[in-house]
Formats: sequence, C-alpha cells, structure tokens
Amino acid sequence: MYNDKNSKKIVETIQNWARSHSVWVLAYGTGCGAIEIAPTMTSRYDAERLGFRGAATPRQADVMLITGYLTVKTVKRVVRVYEQMQSPKYVVGFGSCTINGGMYYDSYNTINLLDKYLPVDVYINGCMPRPEAVIAGLAKLQQIIREGKANGAEKYLENLDWYKANQRKIAPKWIAKAPDYNW
Amino acid sequence: MIAKIKAAFPEAVNKAYDGNRLDFTVHKDAIPGFLSHMKEQLGFRHLSHIAYVDWIEENEFEIVYILWSPQDKVKLFIHTRIDRENPVMENIDMIWRQANTYQREMKEMLGIQFPDMVAPDEFILEDWDDIPPFRRDFDTLEYVNRTFWHRPGREDAQDVRETITKRSGEEIPDFAKKYSR
Amino acid sequence: MREKATTIYLGPQHPGITGNMMVRLKVMGDTIVSAQTEVGYLHRAFEKLQERRNWLNSFTLMCRFCVPETDPMENLYARAVESLDNIEIPERAKYIRVMVLELARIATQLMWYAGQNGSLGLYTMGQWSIGDRDYILDLFEQLTGGRVYHMYQWPGGVRRDLPKGFKDKVLNTLDYLEKRLKDYDDLMFANSIFQKRTQGVGYVPKESIIEHGVVGPVLRGAGIRSDIRIDEPYEVYDKLDFEIPTQEGSDIWARALVRRAEVRQSIRIIRQVLDQMPKGEFNTKIPNPMKWRVPAGDTYVRAESGRGEVGYYAVSDGSIHPRRMHLRGAAYVHAITLLENILPGQNIADVSAIMNSLGTCAPEIER
Repeated sequence: MYNDKNSKKIVETIQNWARSHSVWVLAYGTGCGAIEIAPTMTSRYDAERLGFRGAATPRQADVMLITGYLTVKTVKRVVRVYEQMQSPKYVVGFGSCTINGGMYYDSYNTINLLDKYLPVDVYINGCMPRPEAVIAGLAKLQQIIREGKANGAEKYLENLDWYKANQRKIAPKWIAKAPDYNW
Repeated sequence: MIAKIKAAFPEAVNKAYDGNRLDFTVHKDAIPGFLSHMKEQLGFRHLSHIAYVDWIEENEFEIVYILWSPQDKVKLFIHTRIDRENPVMENIDMIWRQANTYQREMKEMLGIQFPDMVAPDEFILEDWDDIPPFRRDFDTLEYVNRTFWHRPGREDAQDVRETITKRSGEEIPDFAKKYSR
Repeated sequence: MREKATTIYLGPQHPGITGNMMVRLKVMGDTIVSAQTEVGYLHRAFEKLQERRNWLNSFTLMCRFCVPETDPMENLYARAVESLDNIEIPERAKYIRVMVLELARIATQLMWYAGQNGSLGLYTMGQWSIGDRDYILDLFEQLTGGRVYHMYQWPGGVRRDLPKGFKDKVLNTLDYLEKRLKDYDDLMFANSIFQKRTQGVGYVPKESIIEHGVVGPVLRGAGIRSDIRIDEPYEVYDKLDFEIPTQEGSDIWARALVRRAEVRQSIRIIRQVLDQMPKGEFNTKIPNPMKWRVPAGDTYVRAESGRGEVGYYAVSDGSIHPRRMHLRGAAYVHAITLLENILPGQNIADVSAIMNSLGTCAPEIER
C-alpha cells in the first residue's frame, strides 16, 4: 500500500527538502578560489544559516567545491575523493577556470573543461566570485536539489566508461580499471 | 670590495653597475670555491635566489646566483653558462641547504643533471614523459591541443548587451554606448 | 616487540593544512621520525605562460602567484619593469603604493590569526578576524574595484587616484581595528591553552637560519633584526618612522608575538602616510602597452610581504614578450627544507600549527 507512485513521490519530496537544508561541504581547497570560502563561511556572509558547514572527510560530505583550476596531479586525487563520497553527492564548479580554462588555458598542467572528468551540477562564474555570488550559487544548488534534478551521481554511474576514458587520457598510470559499483 | 674579490679570483669578469649591485661572470667549474669564499670570508651569508634562463639562440643555459650581505648591504650576482646539449652542474648543497630545492627544480624543469645531489626523483610534475617543460623548444599550446579540450563557442552567439536589454528592459547609459565590440 | 615506523599522508585533502600540499610523515607512536614535503598540486607554469604574453597581459598573471597576499607581487612587477626601462614615478604614487602594501600586510596577518588558531582548535578567532579583514577588503574594493585581485600597481605609478573621502574611511577602519586588537589579546595571547601549546614547539635553531636562508617573521622571531624595508628601502620607506619588532625564543609563541607587533607597526605607518601624502600626479606616461618593447637587461627586485622576502628576477631581451620572469616566493625555503628539518621529534598534532607559523603558502612554492 505504501509503495505506489504517489507515496514514493511524497517521500522523495520530503527527503529532498530535508537534504537541501543540510549540505555539508568537504574541506578541500583545490585552487585559488579557496580564499573566498573563508569569508563566505564566517561571520560576515554567513553561509551556515543555509545549512552549509564544513566536513572533514569524504564520507561525511555532501558537496565538493572545486574552487578554481585543477592541475593534472590534483585531478587524480579529486576523482578518488569523489568516488569515496557516498550518494547523494554534488559537485559545484567555482570560477571561470572550471568552465573554459580561464586564464591558464594554454598551460600544460591545468585542465580546461571540468565536466569531462566529473559531473558538475552548478557553475559559479567569476575570478574570484564574490561571497554574494557564492551564496547565490549555493542557493541555486538547494533549489535544484528540491526539484529533484541534482543527479550528478547517477550520471556518473551511467556514463562511467566515458568519464574513465577521459580521465585515463590525462593520467594513464593512475586511473586503473573502474571499480565495481555494485553496492 | 671589487678589489678584494678580484684579488682572490682573478678570472672572474666584472660588469659595472651603480647602486648596491655587483655583477660577476665565473666559469662553471670554479663556482663551489667562489661561493664558499664569498660566504665565509666576505660576508655574503644569505642566498637570495638561484635563477635560470634558457638562451636557446646561443645554445646555452645560464644560471644566476644572487647573494646578499647583511653587513655591507650589497647584492652580488654571479652568472655562469652551461652547455645545452649535455647540462651538468656542480652541487652546492653543502654550502647552503636550501639550494637542494632550487636544484631539484632545475633538474625537473630544464633537465640539468647534478651528479652528487641526494634528492627524490619527482618534485613538481608527476608521471611526466615529455621533454623538460621550461625549455624554449617545448610548445605548450600544442601540448594543450593534443591532451585537453577547449570549450566550443555557443551556437547562438549573441551580443551580451542586447540580450540583457531585451531580457530586462533596462536602458544602456550613454557613456557605455561608445564601448562596443 | 620491535616497533616499525608507519607512513601516513597529511595529504592534500585535510582541514588543517595551508593550501594544497602534502607532507609524508613516518611516525612511531605519536612522534614523527622523518618528514617529506610534496608539492606540485598547484603548478600552473606561470613563467612559461608569461613568455607567451606581452608586457600588458603578463601583468594580469602576476597577482595570482600568492593568493592570500597579492599586492607585493604587483609591486615587484611594477618596480622590475621600471628599473629595466628607467622610469621615474611621482611621489604621490609611491605613497599610495606604500599604503596599499601595508593594508595588504594587515589583511594577511589577520588571516594568519584565523589559520594559526584554527589549527589549535580556537575557531572563534577565525570568525572574528576574517570578519574584520572584510573591512579592509571593502577599502580595497572602493579603491581598486576588486576584493582579492587588485591589478592596481602598474609600471609608471598606480592606475587611478584615491576617491573622495577615502582618507576618512581608512582612518575609521584603523581606529576600529586598534580597538579590536585588545580583544584579540584577551582571547588569544592571555589564553593559557594557547601559551602551553605554542611555547617550546617548532623550534628553529640558530645554525639553521643561515644554512636554510630563513626570512621574514621566522627570522625576526629568532632575534635577528633584518627586514627589507630597512635594509634596502624601496618606495618611501626611508622617510617613514617605524620599528622592526624582534623576539628571542624562535618557537611558535615568539613568532606570534612578532606578527602581533607588526600589525601595530603597519597601522602606525599608514597613519604617517596619510598625513604626509603630497598632491600631484599619480602616474607617468608610458608607451602603448600593446607594443611596448622594454630594453634588454636583467634585474632583481625585492619586497617584504607578510611572510618574508619575495624577490623577482626579470630578464628582457628587447622584444614584445618578456624573456624570463622568475619569482622567489617567501615560503620556498620554509616549506621544504626547513620543515623537513624541524619536524622530527614533534607530535602529529603540532604539524599543522608549525606549518601555519612558518607561513607556508603553497601556490608560491610551485607557481
């Protein structure tokens, strides 16, 4: 009786509403943009009133902020950390370096497009984005979660081969064959 | 000061500069003796920087050691040249411990070998299998086109100002109209 | 039973490290036996990129070298190009540059308050000091247009003049900060937990100082009075009256006291600059930046940032592109050889405090 479509929809709506109000951010400052996370999370532009607080390990985190450019060495670690996080998980691309490479577009060590390697849910542009822009982006993430459209994790599992092929192109020795996602 | 240095090392070549800067060119084999003499005897105790330049037209690398003397307040530049085909340089680890870091970077970025240095292999780059990247014959844009992708432009590329005017109905002020694409 | 040393990675994803770097520790129990720093997570090959840009475009890359403190890098670029091309800048521009540099120094030390205390567990200081640092960033936004990356100090002077009423706003902010410094003292320096955790930890012996080329507050915390602002004065520092604080002891406590005194001295310098600021032009004319050819030569300019000596070796060969611009970060020697030297014998829990106290800033090391 409780497994028909309407009850499932109601349960999912309540779950998404609860998830959107308590999103824990992984403590990983991967690039330049990490300098504007500190004012966003502290007393002036308080992001904790929206439910965003810092989490120390990937198992306890919901969202990973890729703040700025990613070098090839960091991409390997970021992919491993992303795969250690548990569903539901989201990725927010911060700054114009994740969108099209930014001002390091011709550097041999930084990647240009982030969403060839990881599924991105929200982009925040700027160099750096102001704390108000960051909060606008995080609020948009909350809105997407409530509508049920933040399914980056499922996209990653469906297209795993494509993502792994892209990652292997830049880091052949590190990305071994894909793990078995059967839990 | 110049006279003292010239008395100890007669082959060093000097260039004249004003202010508090001294400039010398030394042959590469005489470098460790020159540097330790500067540090012990003449008071240039602080190693500020070890810089490297790639002169591909003359087929040489140039290494510059920059020393600073806290008592006399004088900067000392020491230039050397190394052959570009087979770059080997002396290790000055025992004089200043920090030179280890500079030498690791030179080995990785330019390919200069330091036979006596004790250091792990990789410093900044990991799994790098191309030529040392800071040489001037390494083309980074071509490498990027080979390995990464660029973001393609939008299919419906529109003018930004017109789009905003149409969407929100606000007027572009007069002073902004003269900056057009 | 024989003990074996375990390897743990204080790795790139860690809430306690400053920036994106890794320290590989070999521990026995809780004591560190040996350490090895690994950098390279932030390498962007700036100097290779600067060779492909002309003199105007490579200026935009300059401020992104070190992210918490961006103004000394712009100052170095401006002074390097001016010394290669023999440009004289007007007095008012020099005074404005000194004011901007000292405001950036106060902002960096406030950020250091947050980092150092966060590594020991006192998170309240982080909330206070980053909130107060935002007032300084507001001043920067009124003056230059950006909070973090300013792009204000251009060869030939500065890009625009001070806005109207700026002097009163700066003085208001300085008065507010001076009142807050007393609150910081009560919470942090009079705190017995802070004292017990920082006294005697992270000791840098005197022989290491010359061997490793230590600069900045680490050098002044060991009792040596040396600062580029008095050794090789640039801009108008020889006309201003300030002191260089030093402490004996050379542990984290001494360096914290040195930084606390530096904030007071910076406030003093800014007040003098505002009193003595002359009227006049704020930049000199330079040729068309798109086609500017700087004469050939090489030069090495230095400045004092909040963390130590930053230096810039610039080579030009007379063409549109710079030949070689090589930066020496202040943390280049602190993070790799010095850290590996002083960590054996300390506890794992103190590694983060030591890294914060030495002022390691990872983007500067690998550019």
